[in-house]
Amino acid sequence: MRTLNFNYNSDRSHKARISVKINRSISTGLAGTTIAMLIAGMAILIGGWPFGWALIGFSVIPAMTIEWWNGELHHMAAAAEPKTIDDVLSADILGRLSSNPTLREIATIVGSVTGGHFLAVRFGISNRFIHDLIDDSNNDVQALWQEAWQLYEQTGSQNISASILVAALISRHPNHQRLLSHLQLDLDDLTNGVKWYNHLRQLIDEHKQPRLGGGLARDWSFGWTPLLKRFGQNLSEQANGLNGSFKHLATHEEALDQIIDIFSSGGRQNVALVGPDGVGKTQIMLALASRLLYGDTNLPTNLRYRQVFSLDAASLIAAAPGRGEIERLLPQILDEAYSAKNIIICLDNAQLFFEQTIGSVDIANILLPIIESGNLRLILTMDDQHYLQISKRDPKLAGVINRISVAPASEAETMTVLEERSIKIEFQNRVTFMYQALVEAYRLSDRYVHDLAMPGKAISLLENAAHYSKDGLVSAESVRLAIEKTLDIKIGVASQEDERQTLLNMEDLIHERVVNQVRAVQVVSDALRRARAGVRNQLRPIGTFLFLGPTGVGKTELAKALADVYFGGEDRMIRLDMNEYTGADDAGRLIADGSENGNSLTARVMKQPFSVVLLDEIEKAHTKVLDTLLQMLDEGILRDVKSREVSFRDAIIIATSNAGAERICEYVERGYDIVQFETRFIDELIRTNQFKPEFLNRFDEIVMFKPLTPDELLRVIDLILVGVNKTLALQKVSVQVTDGARKYLVDTGYDPRLGARPMRRIVQRAVENTVAKQVLSGQAEAGSVITITLDQVQQILELQANAEHLAGPMI
Amino acid sequence: MVYYNVSGYNSGMFLVGILSWWYGNGWVERLRIINDRLRVTTDRFSVFQLITTLFAPYRQIAAGRVEGSIEDKIRAFWDRSFSRLVGFVVRSAMIVIGSFVLLAQIIFGAVTLVFWLFIPLMPTMGLILMVLGWTPA
Repeated sequence: MRTLNFNYNSDRSHKARISVKINRSISTGLAGTTIAMLIAGMAILIGGWPFGWALIGFSVIPAMTIEWWNGELHHMAAAAEPKTIDDVLSADILGRLSSNPTLREIATIVGSVTGGHFLAVRFGISNRFIHDLIDDSNNDVQALWQEAWQLYEQTGSQNISASILVAALISRHPNHQRLLSHLQLDLDDLTNGVKWYNHLRQLIDEHKQPRLGGGLARDWSFGWTPLLKRFGQNLSEQANGLNGSFKHLATHEEALDQIIDIFSSGGRQNVALVGPDGVGKTQIMLALASRLLYGDTNLPTNLRYRQVFSLDAASLIAAAPGRGEIERLLPQILDEAYSAKNIIICLDNAQLFFEQTIGSVDIANILLPIIESGNLRLILTMDDQHYLQISKRDPKLAGVINRISVAPASEAETMTVLEERSIKIEFQNRVTFMYQALVEAYRLSDRYVHDLAMPGKAISLLENAAHYSKDGLVSAESVRLAIEKTLDIKIGVASQEDERQTLLNMEDLIHERVVNQVRAVQVVSDALRRARAGVRNQLRPIGTFLFLGPTGVGKTELAKALADVYFGGEDRMIRLDMNEYTGADDAGRLIADGSENGNSLTARVMKQPFSVVLLDEIEKAHTKVLDTLLQMLDEGILRDVKSREVSFRDAIIIATSNAGAERICEYVERGYDIVQFETRFIDELIRTNQFKPEFLNRFDEIVMFKPLTPDELLRVIDLILVGVNKTLALQKVSVQVTDGARKYLVDTGYDPRLGARPMRRIVQRAVENTVAKQVLSGQAEAGSVITITLDQVQQILELQANAEHLAGPMI
Repeated sequence: MVYYNVSGYNSGMFLVGILSWWYGNGWVERLRIINDRLRVTTDRFSVFQLITTLFAPYRQIAAGRVEGSIEDKIRAFWDRSFSRLVGFVVRSAMIVIGSFVLLAQIIFGAVTLVFWLFIPLMPTMGLILMVLGWTPA
């Protein structure tokens, strides 16, 4: 590795020091001095004193200095063949360095200039952070220069700016990974930051270049287009308004080149841009409009200064609602475009023009001959699905269209797009985006936004995040907040105290509703804690559990309790009774499109990804239905009928089953503990073909619920009574049941096969009916406590039993 | 020459730096600025566009192909010719105006470039005129 010297006395170093001395205010002062000297000189001359000549003559010195500063010093280029570090250091740093700079001095300087400010704001790398990196016992400036030079070459930068030096200062620190991880960054991010800074500088430089848009007489050779102006959207005007900032595309440059190639050749003058929504088709149109307007030198002359108009089917149909009107209007518009000779028509969402259902008009018959003849330049945009539909319906049409596929952007492309677009969003919303926000926008939109493709969904999320800024700064936290509020989900690590307490005391809170079943409660609580501490596998659901056991032991109740305690209410539970999916064709209903069946599993999870999914009585579902669910259980992904990926990665999936319930009761009655026969029982389920092993293997945990004992049912009675008292609270009446009566209720309702299920019925008969009578008869007034004794319960239940006994033979 | 240093600033280097830039890259930069201005003006008056489309029908009025009787075609021919005439007159006028503006800009640019070379001599010239003692009447 060669040694990189720092020459304090080089020409460039001298000029840099002068550049630093002449800042903007000095420059303004010099301009003022020039004018003052000129005016004073002339006034003195008019007064008859020849000294005025000297003043006028010397007034050029400050003027020349300003010219020099603006022309060379202010943005001093790097040397053509750099050999020493001062050949490439940016002037704002070079001009501030002493003859023998230390690392601390360099750190101070980079923190005070533009590149350093950029990293401070965009990455959160403060001056203090940089200073903390400096170890005064190790002043190896040479190592820093080497690191910076490497980055300078790696990033193709024009000079070594403060951003490069900050990155170099950090990367040479032995613990840089640990330090950067606090900022959710790594070294690659810093390299990206340097490139981002360079790109912004390049955009500023490009903005200063003169724009040549054709001038006053540009359109004199082309026709008037009043109808197009009325019904279409002039994309060229939009591009002009933005001063050609759309000219370059961060992605899809190839598609743009293909369009220009097709339109400049002699073939059919049409293009179909096919790709999902959000992929950037409109952006390609704007870039095309911009490029044609600001005619590149390599642009074919037959395309220069052509204008792009976008036609929207919906607004056309709205403008011509009468029967046959649209069939008259559209040819007029297209004829006008053809006659004008400088128009490229873009049919945005072109499928709308070919759908025979819209307003009972068939525009396809009008468009097809125009597309076939290829005389008018046409661009159609649509998604793959619609293109396939049109191709199937009208193969001839598909045969004459030049299809260009527009694929979703990659992560690197999306980041470049975000870096560029963020400037516009910042300007519109008066905010500043941190780099971490951009990364988070990509990551979260990729995971949670399903109706748009990249980069559209990341841009959309970033726009949303602008509304959740803190002091005008949009961090990764703002992006998380935006998606949490938009989709009503929780994605970050639990940070609020009350949420942490809920998670830590999850078992106790669930046990307020669920009696016993300690292991089941624990596994779901653990899964949720793992998720909210950020230590779970992000590519799977929060947890997948199969609850096995007889009816009435709390399987469904546990799912409900979980939804209530943590997910924000029982309505956060997506419940599917799998006995409704017993046929092979029912698998289709699970994954139906939300627009056709809002109750399909995929549609409900799309609307509410953060939820408890309860698949009740899973053993009753058809094998094909279970096969459909395999990927959901394994990877947390289920594709709907439209092949859209629906994420279950923020859901807890609970399947319940009564399969083998008798065997469980039998084992328990024989005195086995659940853990003793668990493995044997699951083997039995597989052997008896009740479940396939590959299905059972997909679950994180298979939890067996044991039948409730009479003592546990007493607690169930208590829980039911708590519910009754909650209902009565509105009427300021409460009810209490004596110990004897509670025991009697349990004895009467106890059935090991049915668990707690009969208890609610018994309480309803014995307690709720008594309370209802007392309230209606006026015996119970506001503030009174109704006590129900053993005698009352016995009387009611025996009367009811007798009545049922008598009624039995009559039926 | 007397040199003095103020925080690494050297007056000799200042003088050498500014003069070498002024008669080197500075002059070239000035030439580029003038060239850019001329390009913008040429574009604003669409001079090349106007020359290449001098006889094209103005705004495509009556420019389309007409199917019909011979009378219709003759009428369309005259209409088209009139449209071309209007286009020619309007474009020629714009070319003349544009050319004047361009010419004025070229002259101004050339003067600037020559004047640029003499600017550093102005302090000396000012001193000479002061010593000569001449003042405008």
